[in-house]
This record gives sequence, C-alpha cells and structure tokens, in this order.
Amino acid sequence: MKVDKTLVASVALHVLVIGWGLVSFSSKAFESTEIESIPVEFVTDDQLNKITAGMKSGKKENPKPLVEKVAEAKPVDDAVGKVTEKKAIVTDAAPDPAPKPVEKPPEKKPDPPKPVAESKPKDEPKPIEKKPDPPKVDPIAEALKKEEAKKPTPKPEAKAAPPPPVKKREYKFDRETIAALVDKRDPTRQAFAGDTLNSTPALGTAKGSAATLSASYLSALVSRIHDCWQADGGGFDEQDVKIPITLTFKQDGTLSAPPLLESEPRNDRERAIFEGARRAIIACQPYTMLPPARYADWKSLPFLFHNKVD
Amino acid sequence: MFRPFRDNPTPGLSSLISRRAFTLAGGGLALSGMARPAALFAQAQQRLEVVPGGTQALPIAIPNFVPGSPGDGEVGVGVTQVITNNLKRSGLFAPIDQAAFIEKISNIDVAPQFQNWKTINAQALVTGRMTRQPDGRLQAEFRLWDVAAGQQLAGQKYVTSPESWRRIGHIISDQIYERLTGEKGYFDSRVVFVDESGPKERRIKRLALMDQDGANVRYLTKGADLVLTPRFSPSTQEITYMEFGQGDPRVYLLNIETGQREIVGNFPGMSFSPRFSPDGQRVIMSLQQGGNSNLFVMDLRSKSTTRLTDTPAIDTSPSYSPDGSRICFESDRGGKPQIYVMPATGGPAQRISFTKDEGDGGSYSTPVWSPRGDYIAFTKQGGGQFSIGIMKPDGSGERILTSGFHNEGPTFAPNGRVLMFFRDPGGNGGPSLFTVDISGRNEQRVPTPGFASDPAWSPLLS
Repeated sequence: MKVDKTLVASVALHVLVIGWGLVSFSSKAFESTEIESIPVEFVTDDQLNKITAGMKSGKKENPKPLVEKVAEAKPVDDAVGKVTEKKAIVTDAAPDPAPKPVEKPPEKKPDPPKPVAESKPKDEPKPIEKKPDPPKVDPIAEALKKEEAKKPTPKPEAKAAPPPPVKKREYKFDRETIAALVDKRDPTRQAFAGDTLNSTPALGTAKGSAATLSASYLSALVSRIHDCWQADGGGFDEQDVKIPITLTFKQDGTLSAPPLLESEPRNDRERAIFEGARRAIIACQPYTMLPPARYADWKSLPFLFHNKVD
Repeated sequence: MFRPFRDNPTPGLSSLISRRAFTLAGGGLALSGMARPAALFAQAQQRLEVVPGGTQALPIAIPNFVPGSPGDGEVGVGVTQVITNNLKRSGLFAPIDQAAFIEKISNIDVAPQFQNWKTINAQALVTGRMTRQPDGRLQAEFRLWDVAAGQQLAGQKYVTSPESWRRIGHIISDQIYERLTGEKGYFDSRVVFVDESGPKERRIKRLALMDQDGANVRYLTKGADLVLTPRFSPSTQEITYMEFGQGDPRVYLLNIETGQREIVGNFPGMSFSPRFSPDGQRVIMSLQQGGNSNLFVMDLRSKSTTRLTDTPAIDTSPSYSPDGSRICFESDRGGKPQIYVMPATGGPAQRISFTKDEGDGGSYSTPVWSPRGDYIAFTKQGGGQFSIGIMKPDGSGERILTSGFHNEGPTFAPNGRVLMFFRDPGGNGGPSLFTVDISGRNEQRVPTPGFASDPAWSPLLS
C-alpha cells in the first residue's frame, strides 16, 4: 500500500503542534471577586409606627407622660437600664473640661521645666485622698492610675537639663489591663422629668411622634399618586417593572421640576411606563397633604413605581 | 420645545411608502437629559413605593388631520378615522369625542395650547396634515404630544400613492401604539379568511383578504371549490391553504400578488392543515394514511419531504415556534385530541394539555404558537362549549379568553397580544370573526361582508 508522504508529514506536524500546545499552555481558572452583600430590610409605614409607639404595657387612655422626677425636662435617648440618681463617675482619665495652660504639651512653652514640676504632685495624689470609699472606686481609674504609677518620676536634675523630646508611649497588649478597663457598671438612664410625678407609663400618641406624623403625610401622598396613576393595560403578563423616580416639590406642593427618572430606561416598555407615571404625577399636583412646616423633609423624595396592578 | 421638520429619509419601508423622520423635540432629548443618576440621594432615603390604582384606557385626542390644500380635507378625515378606530379597538386607548375639543388645530407646525387639551382630560394628542404633492402622491405628517408634560413624543412624515391612504393610517396607528405602550403594534397587517355566502346547505366558500380592521376586502378564489385553513407565509406574499378539488383535498400555495398557485407535493392520500415555517422555506402539514394521519414537512425549494411522526393516531394542526426549533400539534394518540410539543425535526412529543375531567369530553385542538413565543393558543371543547384560550409552551398558565356555542381557529396578531378567531352562534346564521386580547378583557367583532371563518393573520407589512 502506498502511503502519501505529505499526509504522514501533515499528521506528524499536527500531532507535534497539538502536543506542544498541551504542554505549553497552562490554564488558569477565572477567579471572580466575591462582592460582599449588604443586608437590607424594608420597614413599612405600619412597622415604623409600631417601632415609634410608646410602651406596650402602657394604658391607652392615659394621656400623661411618665414622670419620675420633678425637674427640668431633658431629652431622653435611651430608655433602657435602671434609673440612677448617681452622678456620672468622672475618672482621672477623663479629659478636663477646661484644660489649663500648664497641661499643654511642653513643646508649646519655651520654658517648660517649672510648670511640669508643679503640676505632677498636684494631680496624682488627689483622687486617692478624696475618694477613700471602696464602693466609689472606679476600676477604670484604678487601672489608669496603676499605669501612671509605673512611670518614672521626673528627677530634680531634669530642671537644668534641656527638655527631652517627647516620645510616643509604646503600648503592649496586656489582657489583664484590658479586662480592668472594661466598664462593668450596669446601664443607667436619666429619669423622665416633668412638672408633676406620674408613675403610669403612657402608650404614646400620634401627635407625640414626629416619625408617625411623617409616615402619615407620606402615606397620603403615595395614596394620591396611586389613585391618579392608571396602568395602560399593555405589557400583558410582564414581570413587575420597577421605575425609580425622584420628585422635587415647591413649598405649595407643586412640582419644582419634572419627575426625574434616575436611570436610563432599558427598553421602550420601561420608557412608556415612566412617561405614564410622569403624566399622572404632573396631572395630580398640587399635593396639598404635604405640610409646609416640614418642607425640608419632603422637598425631594425618591419613589419606586411598580407597574403591577393590585 | 418645538422644532421644525428635518428631512432624514428612513430606510426599511416598502417602495410604496417612503418615510421621513423629523426631530423628536421632546421625548428623546428631554429623557436623556433627565437621566442623571441620583444614587447617593436614593441610598440616603427609603423609597416610597407606588403601584397603579387600576387599569384604564389612555384618553387620547385625535383632531382631523389638517388639509395641506383645500382638496385634501376628505383624505385627512379618513386617515383620522382609521387611526381613531384602530386605537379604540385595541382597548388600550380611549379616543375623545371631537365635539369636546376646545382648540381647533389648524397648523401642526405650531405647538398646541396644552391647557386646552388638559381641560378635556386628554393625556395624549395627535396632530397631522395630509398634503397632495405636485406629482400626485400623498404626503402625511403627524406629531404625537404628551399633554401633561407638554412634550412631543414622536413625529413622522410619509409619502405614498393616493390609494394607499388607509395604510398610512395603520402605520401612524402603529407608531402611536408603540410610543405610548412600548409594545410593537399590529395595525399595518392583513388577514386572510374564508368568506362564506349563500344558504347553509349550499354555502359558497371563497378565500378573501382584508386589512386587519375589515377594510379593503379582496377575493382570492371564485368559490367553485371548497377552501379551508388558509395560512400566511412570513413573507406575506404567499398563502397556503387546503382545497377540495376534483380528487383528494390538497394543500396549495397561492401568491396573493400574482394570483399564481401550485400544489404542495403530490401525495397519494389527502393532505391538509398546512403551515409555513418561520423562515418561509418549508411547509409542515398532515398526510392521511388509512385512518391515521401523520406530520410531514416539505422543503419548498428542493421539494423533499420528511416524515416527523409515525403513530397509529391522527396528528394534525402543526405550528412552529417562532425560532423554528419546536412544533406544537394536535394528536389523539392519548385517546382524545390533546396538544403536544416536539422538536421540529421530530422525536419524542410531550403532551402539554390536560383536562381536569376526562369524562366531560374535554379536548384541545388547533394549537398555534405566538409570534412572541410566550403562548400557545388553542380551541378547547368541553362541557358543551367551545372556548378559545392560551397556555404557556410547557402547558402551564392556561387562560380561557372566550367561551360559547362554537369558537374556533385562533390566530395571533403580529405582536402576539391579540387573537382573531371565528364564532358560529348556530342556527341558520353563520360564523363571524372576532378579536380578543390575551388578557381576555377586550373582545371586538371584525366587520366582514358576509359570514367568515378560518382567519389567519399576516406579519406586519412594514
């Protein structure tokens, strides 16, 4: 049988090239960078109202707010924790509300030796002498004090010598010290203050919550636009198309600018839905439910229009 | 806001009609200008979510097209009526009665007084002009306005022969429909159907062609022989149908422009239920073999025939998916007629229709695949009624659109959103054509000269 030499040569060459390719080209899997997802929770108006309502155990008919102490009313941020009459413990480490010039860094004063020498003995022994009572001992202050005690006391010769350059303290991690620094006190809060004492907690009223009020007029706004906006009946069986639109208002409740579509429509259908919503928004103004007193809150509002009929 | 015409010839239309675009002064530019991202703002606040309060036909004002010269008034009114009728029949628009108009449009090159149209609750406004040119051709211009936003949404200019003025109306209707709904239109299309005349026992059946709105009826056969199941080619120049001649019933091809016709294949038995493939190169049909019938596909160029099914059952009414990869058809291989789907090259078929109660005589027939591919329409028989319905190609989401004594033969509009079918009320009367949208909410009767059955919708003409 006669073998075609060119065919043999071609096959051999192909085998060589493919073999070389298999050895030479290394494959590396594509790596995709994982993007950290951010959990988002939507809170409805109802949930917001519940969150911002008064204590659940309170009597509904009681219009009086809880007052535990007759005093000047103060805003209360945190209602958790026991009510305490104790003054907040001021520790040695706490910053001085009115720092004296002597406590300024030595670099700022051309003649530092004198003030430095005077301030030291004054500051350190005082807390120990003034608060001998064990219950009032502050563990944080104690821990800081111990740290201070470890410091080498300046010698009198230092007066004559030029001031040494201030070195940064090198902190070493010490579990015991950290544990001592942790505040082990129970959480406390200030008492509810008012004109007269009232031991019954109130449930809270609509007028007493700004957030609830907000939700109320915003709900009315959404309801108004909902009533005005009619789906066109096109796009049968389409998925829920969501159109992000921002509305900016004048103080009288009319639009100060045309409804703003926040992203380019992906297709003609999205554009048509936006334009339909725009027609409804423009036609339904002014939005008189928006309270002028809170104009700053609703001057500009972001919306998400769903083209899905209820 | 308002800008003059800009003459930019736009390709893509038939030689009959040339289209010129003019500047979209409003929509495009304004929209791109508004599309500034406000991501930071959006993240800072929770979005207020709104859904529509309901579904409502869009109120639209369509004043009579302005005549470009004193003799063009009649055609202007005609085009306006075609547009008004199309949009109204779609169910998505509510044309406002012209008697309510406050402003009279006399010059379409001037922006309208939007307040006048807001007063009568118009959300959209169409203005137009018809002008006979020195060469005898007709020029049509129109503008579509968003009344609330005070913007022009679309503007086009067309030139055509005077006898095609209705088609101009259909093309403008499609433009308005597409711009306001974001969906493809379907008005510039035709329907072939079986026209029926004479007493019931000696009914004459002729193939007829008309615009989708029932106008411009034209007869394609003389009525000497019985004709059934006409189907349009994707090219719109040819139809295929079944005719009972002197011998066995045969499948024919007919060129609707030239009138030439030919038999598809030369088979020993009866051939029926033909339908074109999406590329128009093949015809799929049923061939009778004894008491059974199977599906065959014939290449129109090579005339070669391929068998697709081989069962001791009646397989018929095949219809291609729009991508040509699959076929849905009707078969009684399971006992009663049901709908099956199989690869276009043959192979295992999957049944997709199931009646809840087999005892009620429930069966499915005449399946037809939507041009969008999302639904298969069918005729369902059961409980003493014939219904028209749709289901997804996997058999899920069945929806009955209309029911009655006898409804049959659904065919999809080119946009896949409207179906045409025929309804026979029984008695001494005869069948009529109807349209229904796939939501089942908007059913309309299609005017025909006499009784009509077996409609088949063409693709868009342009």
